[in-house]
Amino acid sequence: MPRGMHKSNTLRKVFVRTPGSKTTIHYRKRKPSKTICGNCKTQLAGVPRERPYKVANMPKTAKRPERPYGGVLCSACTRKLLQQKARSEK
Amino acid sequence: MSLFEVGRLAMKIAGRDAGRKCVVVETIDNNFVTIDGDVRRKKVNIKHLEPLTETIDIKDKASHDEVKKAFEKLGLPVWDKKSKKPTERPKQIRKKNKSKVEEKPAKKEKKAEKKKAAEPVKEKAEPSIEKAVETETKKE
Repeated sequence: MPRGMHKSNTLRKVFVRTPGSKTTIHYRKRKPSKTICGNCKTQLAGVPRERPYKVANMPKTAKRPERPYGGVLCSACTRKLLQQKARSEK
Repeated sequence: MSLFEVGRLAMKIAGRDAGRKCVVVETIDNNFVTIDGDVRRKKVNIKHLEPLTETIDIKDKASHDEVKKAFEKLGLPVWDKKSKKPTERPKQIRKKNKSKVEEKPAKKEKKAEKKKAAEPVKEKAEPSIEKAVETETKKE
């Protein structure tokens, strides 16, 4: 029988095949939610979906796209925003 | 007849130079132009550009220096290539050697002090002998 804490779905289960050909269950923490665009709420590309301790060890360039509003807005929304900015300039 | 003639100011919309201003330096075909200014000088698709109302008088295929002069007149920033100079790594000094180096001169100093202490005695003794010799020769 699993422990009481393992009966809820707070931890995700990983099935591991042992050398003795038995499958055991390992419990891991769940990944954080996917990052979404602040404007249109679509999923952002180029942003890692990992636990904070893994993200903290990554280089800065691996964490978000290298463009203005990278990691906040999607590319389409950034384009629209910058287009408006260019058109409003005299 | 597209908007992107030579000398047209534009803003980059896509890529890592997005939001920066540039000038069309050369038109390649209906879709592609070469840009320079506050961006990396490169060939881009005109879909990645948003034209601005202004135009500058520059030559076709103008060099980066010419574009730089024109941009400085307008008071716009210019993207310059950063020179790739490798930074010197700080040399690591071994701690053991350092302690030895520190200890050795201290010992030498002590020896030197001892020598100094010993030498003056000789010095005092020697002149007396010399004087004695001198006095002897005089007597002779």
